[in-house]
Amino acid sequence: MPAKPDTAISRRSFLKWTGAATAATAVGARTPVLHALVPSEETTASGKVEHHFSVCDMCLNKCGLIARVEKGVVTKLDPNPKFLKSRGMLCARGNAGIAQLYDPDRLKYPLLRKGKRGEGKWQRLRWDQALDYAAEQLRTIAEQYTRCGVLFSPGSDMQSTFVHWFAEVFGSYNVTTHESACLLSRNRAYLDTFGEVPFSDVLHTKYIIMAGANRFEALITPDSIDLMTAKQNGCKLVVLDPRYTKTAGLADEWYQVRPGTDMAFFLALMHVIISEKLYNADYAAEKLFGLEQLAEHVKQYSPEWAEVECQIPAQDIRRIARELAAAAPTAIVYPGRRTSDYVNSTQIRRSMAILNGLLGNWDRPGGLLAARQVGLSKPELPEAPWYEDNPEDRLDMGRAHMMFEEEGSFKHMRDAIIEAKPYPIKGWLVYKHNPLQSEANRQRTLEMMVKLDFILTVDIAMSDTAWMSDLVLPAPSYLERQDPATGLQGSSACACVVTRNPVVPTLFESKPVFWILKELANRLELGEHFDFTMEDYRKQQLKNLPDGERALREDGVYYNPSKLYGVYEGRVYKTKSKRIELYNERYAEMGVDPMPVYRSPREVPAGRFRLVVGRNAYFTHCTTQNNGLLHEFMPENTLWINPKSASALGIQDGDLVEVISAAGKGELKAEFKSGIREDTVYMASGFGVLSKGLTNIYGKGACIAEVLEDYSDELSGNMAMHETFVQVTRKVA
Amino acid sequence: MKRQLAMVIDSASCIDCKACMTACKVENKVPPGNWRNWIKEQDPDLEHLNNLEPMHFQPGNCMHCDNPTCVQACPTSATYKDNKDGTIKVNKKLCIGCGSCIPACPYGARYRHPEDKVVDKCDFCERRRARGELPACVTTCPTKARTFGDLKDSNSEVARLLKSDNIVRVVNRETDTQPNIYYLSMTAPTDWPVKAETPSAIRLWKAINPFVWGFVGLNVLGVLAMLGKQLLIKEEPLEVEHR
Repeated sequence: MPAKPDTAISRRSFLKWTGAATAATAVGARTPVLHALVPSEETTASGKVEHHFSVCDMCLNKCGLIARVEKGVVTKLDPNPKFLKSRGMLCARGNAGIAQLYDPDRLKYPLLRKGKRGEGKWQRLRWDQALDYAAEQLRTIAEQYTRCGVLFSPGSDMQSTFVHWFAEVFGSYNVTTHESACLLSRNRAYLDTFGEVPFSDVLHTKYIIMAGANRFEALITPDSIDLMTAKQNGCKLVVLDPRYTKTAGLADEWYQVRPGTDMAFFLALMHVIISEKLYNADYAAEKLFGLEQLAEHVKQYSPEWAEVECQIPAQDIRRIARELAAAAPTAIVYPGRRTSDYVNSTQIRRSMAILNGLLGNWDRPGGLLAARQVGLSKPELPEAPWYEDNPEDRLDMGRAHMMFEEEGSFKHMRDAIIEAKPYPIKGWLVYKHNPLQSEANRQRTLEMMVKLDFILTVDIAMSDTAWMSDLVLPAPSYLERQDPATGLQGSSACACVVTRNPVVPTLFESKPVFWILKELANRLELGEHFDFTMEDYRKQQLKNLPDGERALREDGVYYNPSKLYGVYEGRVYKTKSKRIELYNERYAEMGVDPMPVYRSPREVPAGRFRLVVGRNAYFTHCTTQNNGLLHEFMPENTLWINPKSASALGIQDGDLVEVISAAGKGELKAEFKSGIREDTVYMASGFGVLSKGLTNIYGKGACIAEVLEDYSDELSGNMAMHETFVQVTRKVA
Repeated sequence: MKRQLAMVIDSASCIDCKACMTACKVENKVPPGNWRNWIKEQDPDLEHLNNLEPMHFQPGNCMHCDNPTCVQACPTSATYKDNKDGTIKVNKKLCIGCGSCIPACPYGARYRHPEDKVVDKCDFCERRRARGELPACVTTCPTKARTFGDLKDSNSEVARLLKSDNIVRVVNRETDTQPNIYYLSMTAPTDWPVKAETPSAIRLWKAINPFVWGFVGLNVLGVLAMLGKQLLIKEEPLEVEHR
């Protein structure tokens, strides 16, 4: 579909627009424009230059952008200065979106596997052949194993909502997303404390503690940008991290904490705050549930005790507790995002949530904020059919105490599929999700795939999961697509709506997953449930936002000026006690610790290291390493190792080493980093790929999914990716 | 100079995210392996964890110097300082790709384009400026570490920032090229610019250049004299030659 002329921004309006950025500066977009340099006449231009709004898809932040199109080719992506959530910026990945659009490694047409899985032999199909084949496979599985015999795995994408809808209409409750490799334990912890998952008002805070988060590298908007502004405004940043990240390096204080002991630190902070009565008693009496139990509980957790566990001096713990309490409620114990680290991650994050609750860092400037109203409506779709023969529950049901029904747990789902208990799953539809790279224990995922009769992957490039699939369908990049509207939370920056229209027509034979699902639905006699267009759908979404369509057309973003602070005034909390729960009765009823009880992490055995994983600012999980522009920043991953530990093993900087765990192994180069603990090693994600379709990185580095063992959080079923111990040996060439 | 375009960089707010480098690469079609801009890194000594200096990142690009050693090194005058906006430019039509200017830059801001066979470097995004936009690196920066504008315009943001104390420039002690990239308050590292090196052939060429031009000038005078002579004095009949 060609770009619609009405969505193109004329050059004149674009200039007017960049001028408007100065106005935006006042409200925080901070995109300066030099008026002296703006020509009064349109002096440029050999050839037509168009500008189109879009929304980035290089990670999950969805930053507003303006695409410049010259002679039908996208030549530059620039930040949309009116997009306040990103403070008018576009990061390295956002700029590299062009290399995703014009990637020579893109999937170009439907491919059917010939030969064995992973052998790389493919037959090109026409779309009608591919869709007929896929529909037939899905129908066969549904008839033989019920409709729950198909697992659906949509990635984080604006069209993933249609994969969820398709799963519902098709009749399977077995849906797992990327989230159980990411943030479910944090969500669990905050839901069970505040009744909802908060957003951080980083911009206005005066004191912030970051543990298990790396915001200057793992960019989250507006938090990452606001953190720098807040720092410039005098906010103190305290970081706990076993490695010297850029966030640690730019912090006011950094503690090289013993991995897995963060809870001890936060319990000790509460010990000091409660014993010295540094909290607001009136607030506590009105809003908190279970302060007495908490006070009794944290008596045992003194700073001196925590010093032994965390290797953070007791005097610093005491001082930080007092500083934090003095700054509260304009203070944040940062909730973090990827909290898939330890077997007790929900309880670790709950200790942080409880501390925020105790200090009242909630619903006020510079604290944690409730979700704001965005105002999108849920389109009315025909009711999904009911299938009598379906089993009662999701396959992974009951494998962890408190899983989210709509997310499940990939780890538990995988175990259940391998065991075929309580029922078999035989089909898998994957959309822009790559469990072979993102989910710990790759060998287990491969084992699961052996149990499946049919694997269909829809993606832009030949990911490892696509490479091991039976049918691969090419999807367009975000710059070629029409998408539904989506709401975004930006704490004090905004609550807003964005959408996408094609900036350029789709390349090759790629088709959006919405179209693919519609075609499959038609072939499976489910067409009535997909009998709507994207325009219809979006219109329904925007029906209660009268100014929405205009704002999206003219500004590329719609803002809902909804209430920001004091959302909970006169409102009860969505918890059992209707208050902020320091003590959780539901946990107690289930036999779960109602308050976080500290258990020391397993000791790293002699001669081994704890493997930790993380992010940098130019890669998103395992999706951008092959990007032609980004891979230049890191052509292969390395093993961060402390020089002292390495020397003891006869390893020199740059040596090829083998990393071995109980799950698997990998070979990569050692990189000396004196800022990582001597008992810990680190490597970046996304390398050591199976797919020969990723030509820039095939054969480079090692794969975290291969080496990580599949521990999981006991409560949420979230993956626990910092529990693996590895052996590191020098590889003799 | 009517204007002097410049950058004031608050390097303390740089988080080393590489957005400026990627934006520049796309905007200016910089080929793989080459860059028009960079982020230098000051990695503290982690042997002393208790007394740790903070990490520091320093974004940069061609400094559009007032005393440009690259201009001095160019044998064809392809590299010059534009007297309208003060930027250092490369006239690609005159550049012979000899590369003499590359070691002459203390900052390593120049590279030879592998396909075009001419030297390329930051031009403060001249084409974007013609469209009324800021340089790509400035626009895209998440923490807005870079401020761009005209130093000579006292109302500009750069001029305002330059009034603050402790403005620093990163220079090599032996080659102060008078750069027009300024850093706010403090920056690190500062020891990386190298001494400008001009190839000896170019130095020789530059040294004898006045004499060469004098020689050429004399030749031109001679030719003109001959021309005048031919115009004023009537030619002898051609037949004479055939005799």
